[in-house]
Amino acid sequence: MTEKYILKKDHLQPFLRKLKKSHQLVAPVQNRHGDTLFTEIDNLDKVHIDLDNQPQNSLKRFFFPQQEVLFTYHNPARDSYYFETVADESAPTLYFGVRPCDMSALLYMDVVFLKNARDPNYLHKRQNNILVGLNCNEPFANCFCNATRNGPFIDFGFDLQLTDLGDRFLVEYDRSRGQEIISSWRQFFAEAAESDVKAQYQAFLEARGKFRLQVHLDQAVKKLAEDEVPESVWEELSMRCQDCGGCAYICPTCTCFTIRDQPISDSDGERVRAWDACTFSGFTLMAGDHNPVDRQMRGIEKRFRHKLQFDVKKDNRPSCVGCGRCVNICFGGTDIVRFINMTCCGNI
Amino acid sequence: MPSQLLELYLPKAAEIQEVIEENSQIKTFVLAFVDPEYNDGFSYEPGQFLMVSVPHCGEAPISISSTPVNRGTVHLSVRRAGKLTEAMHDMHKGDVLALRGPYGRPFPMASLVGRDLLFVAGGIGLAPLRSVINTCLATGHERSITILYGSRTPSDIAFKADLQAWGQRDNVSCQLTVDRAEPGWDGAVGLVTALLGHCTLAPHETKALLCGPPMMIRAVLGQLADRGFADQDIITTMERHMKCAVGICRHCHMDDKLVCKDGPVFTLEELKQLNVMELQG
Repeated sequence: MTEKYILKKDHLQPFLRKLKKSHQLVAPVQNRHGDTLFTEIDNLDKVHIDLDNQPQNSLKRFFFPQQEVLFTYHNPARDSYYFETVADESAPTLYFGVRPCDMSALLYMDVVFLKNARDPNYLHKRQNNILVGLNCNEPFANCFCNATRNGPFIDFGFDLQLTDLGDRFLVEYDRSRGQEIISSWRQFFAEAAESDVKAQYQAFLEARGKFRLQVHLDQAVKKLAEDEVPESVWEELSMRCQDCGGCAYICPTCTCFTIRDQPISDSDGERVRAWDACTFSGFTLMAGDHNPVDRQMRGIEKRFRHKLQFDVKKDNRPSCVGCGRCVNICFGGTDIVRFINMTCCGNI
Repeated sequence: MPSQLLELYLPKAAEIQEVIEENSQIKTFVLAFVDPEYNDGFSYEPGQFLMVSVPHCGEAPISISSTPVNRGTVHLSVRRAGKLTEAMHDMHKGDVLALRGPYGRPFPMASLVGRDLLFVAGGIGLAPLRSVINTCLATGHERSITILYGSRTPSDIAFKADLQAWGQRDNVSCQLTVDRAEPGWDGAVGLVTALLGHCTLAPHETKALLCGPPMMIRAVLGQLADRGFADQDIITTMERHMKCAVGICRHCHMDDKLVCKDGPVFTLEELKQLNVMELQG
């Protein structure tokens, strides 16, 4: 990838308007309460695309909804039990303003949902979409993607990647689809000058120096691998965790789910998949009340071990992307940053 | 999208051909897929499991208890334990439930050839081993087979027809024990480990296959280790809560392994690398 382009900020709105003709548009939008969330945009003129604040949600729900119907079941008589698939109506979508943490999380979800088996619902939503990323010039207060090594800038996974250079964006592409978009809408793009590329590098250097949190993630990974996390850390975490599941729901890489039947009538119903959390006591509970995991004591331990030990062992990288959302949401004080600090520095 | 993809979570209807009441808690359901073509093409290996759907009850993983040598039907032996299995117990011949699978890593059947075999089971734990035993017998396993089976009481003894048939084989020794005797019982009383203590075994030439409650597993493992069994010659099958059965939902996780995909069959050597409740006292 050598070609880099310039998209003037004045051209962003017209550019998105063009792409919106063929794609549903999802971007960070600040709502009237002041919250910034990735939102489906119907009318570009009526919303404020907010690229200054971190979206409170990730892209998770767009590819893996909090609840979705896998199929319907019908049992009109004891000798008749049949199923009907539900058409996935999701349209080709352009995801705009995706930061490196959320882009990396999506690449991780690809592994979860497509490696052991190809999950049809996920695959359908993942196909035919365009990913336009945005590098982070200004890491937010709880960000630590420098420690998880997937930010503040990213150079793969996207179709187009933007870097804010003041009155313009520097634009790169990773996949051929990105290149096609640029050639199709060439009127919006100018070739980048050497000074633009230098300005991007300068922005990257500055961004790297702006992280406010220092998170010794590598050290925690090492301690977990060597089984050197003191039992007192797990005790304190499980005591303080309020079992709300908020960390798992907000986390862009927490993908555990449950499947259950939702009756509609005596004879019909839906088989529903919904988000689950490994910190819940029922997560491993079997019929007859057998539970092979002491969830009260070990639930939160399983969560951190999964992200920082087992995924590292399997794929050689942790499955925390350093977005900091769990730090914002956890009122029990048992988010991943506090776990890492307790483990590595002995402080809370 | 290719239809095969859409069907990842979609079960296939199967009709109950027969219900065998093994004891007051366990029934064996003899099943055939409603679609005759699918039924003809259906195959599996001992140790694999099926996800069973019952209307309004969702799904649960159940070990296959029949041998794949007998084609045309598949057996699921089910203990009454929760909502779905209770509902199954209320089903009769001609009723339809639904299945998807088979899933999971089977028993390493090839490695059993030419070895003495020791099967130790407790209660419903005989179900997956029954699939192995009947497969070995049907394929002419010549070396000695020892089957030790523990039940709570004589009326809890399941798979009586199989036990009787196995006992009649020249190369099979089939021994039963119960925790608590009842009038008319003149067999052994006590744990399967007591039976195991009286068995003559050649540890270096024997593969041991276990399935049963965790307490039994721990006691048997201790004794097998004392008798010089190597960890890779001890094989068991794990039970976990499962939702997807295809390696995505992570309900059945054991450290970095997933029971639905990496198991349910594991050697003791593999289990010792993991933090497994069944092995902890």
